[in-house]
Amino acid sequence: MWKYLLEKEFKQFFRDPGLPRMALMFPVLMMLVFPFAVSMDIRNINLAVVDNCMSKESSLLIEKCTASGYFRLVDICQSPDEAQRLMDNNRADAIITIMPGFDKETALGTGLPAGIKVNTVNGTKGSIGSQYILNCFRMYLAAKNPDTASTPAFDISDKYYFNPYMDYKLFMVPALIVIAITMITAFLPALNIVSEKEAGTIEQINVTPVSKTAFIVCKMIPYWAIAFFILTACLVIAWAVFGYTCRGSILWLYLYTALDMIVMAGLGLLISNYSNNAQQAMFLIWFFAVIFMLMSGIFTPIASMPDWAKAITFLNPMRYFADAMRSVFLKGSNPLDIWYDAAGLAALGSVMVTWSILSYRKSE
Amino acid sequence: MSKSYRQVHAIKGISLDVGKGEIFGLIGPDGAGKTTLFRIMTTLMLADSGYGRICGLDIVKDYFKIRRLIGYMPGRFSLYQDLSVKENLDFFATMFGTTLRESYGTIKEIYSQIEPFRDRRAGKLSGGMKQKLALCCALVHKPSVLFLDEPTTGVDAVSRKDFWTMLGRIRQSGVTVFVSTPYMDEASLCDRLALIKDGEIIGTGTPEQIIRQYPYRILAVKGRNMYPLLKALRMIEGVESCFSFGDAHHLAYRPDRTCRQTILAEAAGMGFPDCTAKEIAPGIEDCFMQLSKKWGKN
Repeated sequence: MWKYLLEKEFKQFFRDPGLPRMALMFPVLMMLVFPFAVSMDIRNINLAVVDNCMSKESSLLIEKCTASGYFRLVDICQSPDEAQRLMDNNRADAIITIMPGFDKETALGTGLPAGIKVNTVNGTKGSIGSQYILNCFRMYLAAKNPDTASTPAFDISDKYYFNPYMDYKLFMVPALIVIAITMITAFLPALNIVSEKEAGTIEQINVTPVSKTAFIVCKMIPYWAIAFFILTACLVIAWAVFGYTCRGSILWLYLYTALDMIVMAGLGLLISNYSNNAQQAMFLIWFFAVIFMLMSGIFTPIASMPDWAKAITFLNPMRYFADAMRSVFLKGSNPLDIWYDAAGLAALGSVMVTWSILSYRKSE
Repeated sequence: MSKSYRQVHAIKGISLDVGKGEIFGLIGPDGAGKTTLFRIMTTLMLADSGYGRICGLDIVKDYFKIRRLIGYMPGRFSLYQDLSVKENLDFFATMFGTTLRESYGTIKEIYSQIEPFRDRRAGKLSGGMKQKLALCCALVHKPSVLFLDEPTTGVDAVSRKDFWTMLGRIRQSGVTVFVSTPYMDEASLCDRLALIKDGEIIGTGTPEQIIRQYPYRILAVKGRNMYPLLKALRMIEGVESCFSFGDAHHLAYRPDRTCRQTILAEAAGMGFPDCTAKEIAPGIEDCFMQLSKKWGKN
């Protein structure tokens, strides 16, 4: 009987015009497109310069900036107003204003009369852009006066652990796997169960001697299989295309994925219990998907959230799963190091599964 | 048994007995509580109060055993549209722990009509064929009792007739058929029936019994201005009720207080001189109207 239920689920899955293609396209898209799209490396910052000094020194500074590769020089303007207009028209993201006497003051080492103005309509681009400019200034000074007081007494150099080149893509790969697995294992089964409700077929099953448990588990299994397939495909693509390999044991990745699947199965069943049609289910799914992603630490670090927001993230299974996947993938952690992620997932999982089973029974 | 959804009483204190091997019709308009009763009897829902037994088994305690004994065909087509005819049958046969080959004899007669399309997806079948497939799926495990909830709603007249012929054959093989329908004309095809309205049974018996206990006589009245005529006829002394019924009005009168001639004369007096009236035998629908009116008064 189980075999037949499973066979039916797989048949329906592969007969669906969209689902098999989606399952195949999802990891490819996730791995090949999104790491670039969500990259926080900012390039091509449009730079306008107001050069009031017109000296060799000032052009040296401009050259330092453009040579960094992060900036694209839009125009050298005659007046601040003109530069401002460029920014207003969205053609310039940053303006460097070089004051008259720049060459003298820098030569004497008394100051650096230049101003930076950054467009922060896009906050990330603005803050990162201004840092880049400051770095360029520092490099200019260092190159110019290697032994004057303007160079710092300490040489502070940053060293990034586990991701030495601060490669954003490497950072996003495990996180994108997390998003893909959540979508597949929570939301697709929820929609599937609700569509059986809509078609009335669930009633036909209910009058047969098939137990509800068998019915639900057989619904989940294909999606679990797909989730493992996607995990494997993502890892293979990450290795083949970017050359990223998991620093920890791949076994732990699968272990945490399995744990997350149980939580998500509970959530999926819960959504399907509380919705009578696909529309309601879609709305619930959308609601959870957005909250999960924004409160997971995938895009913005949890540490920088206010306390009340931090408290909410503890209820978010994606937080634990994402942390675990990143730790294993980038740091090579083993479950002993990240036992708290397993504990969080297990706690949320037991609550969700219990709740969903209770609410499912009640609908009998 | 009784069942209510929040404030709405779907069925109120219903009591019914269905004999073994008969076609029992549950007849009533939409919203009368037919589907609710079906869902309770097929163990899909719990009643608020009361009990039910199928083949001696309690519908709450022994629900699991009952599921092997009954076949249920809901009013809406609810098989897997993306599975083929044969796959649907195979699937439901397996769910009941049997196989298509084993139960082929039971459904052969109906299945043979859709067998040429066995590889077609169920969603692509015509309405009549879907109905036959659904019936096959409900019969595939050789149930003792077959529950059919409005099987002929939305089906054309010819297919409806075919369907009732099939039900007759199913009964011959010893299966008890419990069927609901909003069509009064199908009532005479049942062995026994119950009339249901607003969650209450307003009459039970064989079709003959129900017609026999009808207390009035009926005239089919036709005239030129049908709607004013209907209103006028209702005013006449001795007329119990008058309803429009297809192309004529069915007028129920008390034979002890008036007669056909008197009614015609009175109608003529009210400005309808060219009416024709014919004595007819009451049908189930007339009985239903009378019983529901009587029930409303009590």
